[in-house]
Amino acid sequence: MNAQDWLIRILFILVIPFVGIFFGLLYKGFDRKITAMMQSRIGPPLRQPFRDIRKLFMKENIVPDHAVEWIFHASPIFALLAPLVALVYLPIGPFEPLMEGFGDLILILYLLAIPAVAMAIGGLASGSPYATVGAQRELVLMMSYEFPLAIAAVTIAWKFESFSLAAISSTSVWSLVGPLGALGLLLITLGLFAVLPGELSKAPFDQAEAETELAGGLFVEYSGRNLGVFYLSEAVKMVVVGALLIALLFPQNISQWYSFGGPHVAGFALFNLAADVLFFLLKLLIIIFLGVSVVRVALARFQIDKASYFYWVPMTLLGLLGTVLVVLEGAI
Amino acid sequence: MPTSTVFTLIKQLLTKKATNPFPVKYTPGNMHAAASLIESGKLSINPPVDIPPNFRGKLSYDVESCIGCKLCLKVCPSEALAFKPDEKKVKHYVSRCTFCGQCVNICPKDCFVLTDEFLMAGLDNYSDELVLNP
Amino acid sequence: MSDKDTTYQVPIGPIHPALKEPFMINFRLDGETIVDADPHPGMNHRGIEFMGMHRNPLKVIPLAERICGICSIVHQHMFTTAVEHAAGIEPTNRARYIRTIMAELERIHSHVLWAGVAAHEIGFDTHLHFTWKIREKVMDLLEFITGNRVNYAMWTVGGVRRDITKDMYPKIEDTLTYYESLYTKLEDIFLGDPSIRLRTKDIGILTKEEALRLCGVGPTVRASGVKKDVRIDQPYAAYGDLELDYIIPSKFGYENTGDVFSKTLVRLKEVVQSIDLIRQCVDQMPDEDIDSEPKKAVLLNKLKKADGEGIGRLEAPRGEAFHYVRLKEGREELDNWKVRASTYNNLATYAPMFMGEQIADIPIIAACIDPCIGCMDRAVVVDVSTGQKTDYDHEDLHKLSVEKTKRMLGGSL
Repeated sequence: MNAQDWLIRILFILVIPFVGIFFGLLYKGFDRKITAMMQSRIGPPLRQPFRDIRKLFMKENIVPDHAVEWIFHASPIFALLAPLVALVYLPIGPFEPLMEGFGDLILILYLLAIPAVAMAIGGLASGSPYATVGAQRELVLMMSYEFPLAIAAVTIAWKFESFSLAAISSTSVWSLVGPLGALGLLLITLGLFAVLPGELSKAPFDQAEAETELAGGLFVEYSGRNLGVFYLSEAVKMVVVGALLIALLFPQNISQWYSFGGPHVAGFALFNLAADVLFFLLKLLIIIFLGVSVVRVALARFQIDKASYFYWVPMTLLGLLGTVLVVLEGAI
Repeated sequence: MPTSTVFTLIKQLLTKKATNPFPVKYTPGNMHAAASLIESGKLSINPPVDIPPNFRGKLSYDVESCIGCKLCLKVCPSEALAFKPDEKKVKHYVSRCTFCGQCVNICPKDCFVLTDEFLMAGLDNYSDELVLNP
Repeated sequence: MSDKDTTYQVPIGPIHPALKEPFMINFRLDGETIVDADPHPGMNHRGIEFMGMHRNPLKVIPLAERICGICSIVHQHMFTTAVEHAAGIEPTNRARYIRTIMAELERIHSHVLWAGVAAHEIGFDTHLHFTWKIREKVMDLLEFITGNRVNYAMWTVGGVRRDITKDMYPKIEDTLTYYESLYTKLEDIFLGDPSIRLRTKDIGILTKEEALRLCGVGPTVRASGVKKDVRIDQPYAAYGDLELDYIIPSKFGYENTGDVFSKTLVRLKEVVQSIDLIRQCVDQMPDEDIDSEPKKAVLLNKLKKADGEGIGRLEAPRGEAFHYVRLKEGREELDNWKVRASTYNNLATYAPMFMGEQIADIPIIAACIDPCIGCMDRAVVVDVSTGQKTDYDHEDLHKLSVEKTKRMLGGSL
C-alpha cells in the first residue's frame, strides 16, 4: 500500500462520520414519517430531525447539582464516538470497509455495546432517581439482547471461518447453505430482527426511556448539546446496526444481477457504483421499516422482566436452534 | 406478533390521514403577502372544517332594540356584560365571553344572537372587534 | 445484608407524564417492585365551590360544567338536579330523555378516550391515535347537537336548552352504527392483542372485599364484581323507563378479577350498553316541551324564593358522583354547594392495587380508575409564612372539631 492510498483512506475516514450522521438523521426522519403515516397521522417532514438537532445545539446545557460533572459530559461523547468508529469497519454498499483486520465483527459488537454503557453511566451520573432506574433497565436489557446477537454473529462467522467483515460480505451467506441451513439462517435472521429494536432502544424495548413511566429515564436530566449528541448517537447507531445486518445477511449488490451495456460503455463503472449505493440505501430503509417502524407501532412496551425473558429464553433458543441446523448441515 | 394490527397499520399507511391540516403547510414569512397570493389564486389553502349548524360563536348585539332591562347581566356567568347607565344599554366584552348563550335565552327583545364567527384572536382585549357597543 | 433497608423513594408527580393532571404519589420501591404508595392530592384546587356560592344558580351551571373537561355533562346534570330538588321544580319528560341521551353520548366519548389513554400508558401510541380518531365522531355529534365540542351549555334548571329534533335522528343513528361497526375492532385490540393482554392481565388487582371496604365506585369496582350502578340502584332522568343491567365481567364469561384487563372490559361493554340506551331513548322520546319554565326571569325569581336543600346523584362515566346544594329564601346566590366526584372514592383503591407491582405498571394502574384530579381535588392547608403544607387526617379533624365545640360552649364540656 503506497502513500496515496493511505491519503485517500484518511480522507474517507474524515468524511465518513458526517455521511453517517447525515444518513442517520435522514433515516430517523423516514422512521418518524412512516410511523406517523401508519398511525393515520401526517407526521413531521423528513428534515425534522435536522431541525431538532439544530435547536438542541442552540439550547442551554444544564447540569444538575447532584451530577458528577465530568462523567455527565463525557458519556454523550463516548456514546457518539463508538458507532462512528464502527462505521469505519463496516462495508457500506459497494465500498470495502476502510479499515479491516481479523476480528472486525467482534470489535463491532463491542463498539455497539459502548453507547448503551455510556448512556447508563451518564444516567447514573446525573443523580436523578428516574435516570437511575433507567440506567439499571438499560444494562439489564443490554445483557439480554447481547446473547442472541452474539449467537447469530458467531454462527455466520463460523460458516465463513473468519471474523473479518470484508470476507463475510464478499459472498452472500445464503449461497453457502443448503435447504436445512437456509432454515437455520432464517431463524437467525428472525433473532437478529428481534434484537434490532432492543439495540436501538425503540418500543417495545424502550424501557430505559419509558416516557410514561420514567419521564425520559436516562435522558431525564440531559438537555441542550449533551442531549443533541445522544440524539446523534442514536441516529448513527441505527445506520450501523442496519449496515451490520446487511453485511451479515444481505451483502448482495444490484450490479451483479444485470448486464446493462458493459465495461466498454463510458461511465458504466460510475453508473454501477451509483446503483449499488442506492440499492444499499434501499436495503437499509427496508430493514429499518420492518425492524423498527412496524414493530414500534404494533407492540406495547414490555415490562423489563418480560423483555429480558423474551431475549434470554425464546430468542436465544431460536438462535441456538438456527445454529444447530446450520452446523448440522455442515456435518452431513 | 398481532397480525390484524399490522394489517390495519399497513392499510393506514396508504389511506387518507385523519389529521386536520392547517390552512397552509408552513407559516408564511409574510402574512400579508400570503393573503394577497391567496386572493389572486396563486396559493391554495386547505379547506377549513365545516362549522356545525348550531355553532355557538361570537355574539351579535342589536343596540337599537335593547331596552336596558339588565336581565342578561343576571345570567352571564363570566360577567362579560357591563351596563352603561347613561345610555341604558349594555357593553359586551368578547374576550370574557364563554359562549354559553344564556343571555340569548333570557333577552325579552332578542337582542343577542350567537353567530358562527370564531376568528376572535387578537393582541388587545379592548380592541374594537372585541368589545361590542363600546 | 438482609436487615439492611434496600428500598428507595421515587416521587411520581405533581408533574409527570404518567399523570394527566397535577397529583402526587410517593412510591417506596425495592428494585423495580413497589412496596408502598402514598397519594398526595392538593395540587389542583381551584375553589370552584366557593366561586359558586357567590353566584345565582343559573350562573353556576356554566361554572359547574367547567369542573371537568371530560365529564362536563355530568356536573351540569348533577348540579341542575340538585337545584331542582332544592327548589321543587320538575323537569319535563322530554328533557329527561334528552338528558339521558346526552349523558350516554358522553359516556361513549369518555370511555373511548380512556381506552386511548390506557394504550398510551403502556407505550402503545398507535392505539391512542386510533381510539382518539374514532372518538372524533361522537365529539362531532355532540358539537352538532349543542354547538360546542367540550362545554355543552345544554342544561338549565327545569329542562334543557336545546332540543334533539327528528331531523337529528339520522345523524345520531349514523354515529351509533359507526361505533357498532368498530366495536369488534376495539375489542380485538384491547381484549385480544397479546402485548396488551401481557400488560393488563393480573395487573393492579382489586379484590371484591377490598372494593367494598374502600367504597370504590363505577367501572373500577364493577370490574371486581360489585353490582353498583346509580342508574339502576336509584334511577334518575329517564333511566327508570329503560332496560339496563349491571355490567360486570362474569356476565360476559370472564372472571371478576378486578385487574386492569377486566376494568377495560367493563368500560368497553359499557360503550355497547350506551349505544343500546340511546336507541331506547330515541324510540321512546315523548312529544313535549323541553323546558318546564322557558321564562328565565320567572325562574330566577322562583329560585330566589326557594328554600331548602337538594342532592344530585348520578352515575358518571367514572362512577357515582354527587352534588349538594342548599338554597336560602331571599338569597339569590347558592347558600352552600358541595361537589364529590367519583375519583374521590376511587383514590383509596390505589393502595391495594399498587402494592407489589412494578414501576412499569404505575402509569396503567394510575390510569385504570380513570382519575380526574380536577373534579376531585380537596383544599390543602398551607402556612403562608413558612410554606409548610399540612394534611389533616380523620383524627386531627376530630380533635379540631371537639376543640371548637369546647370553645363555643365556653369550655364547660
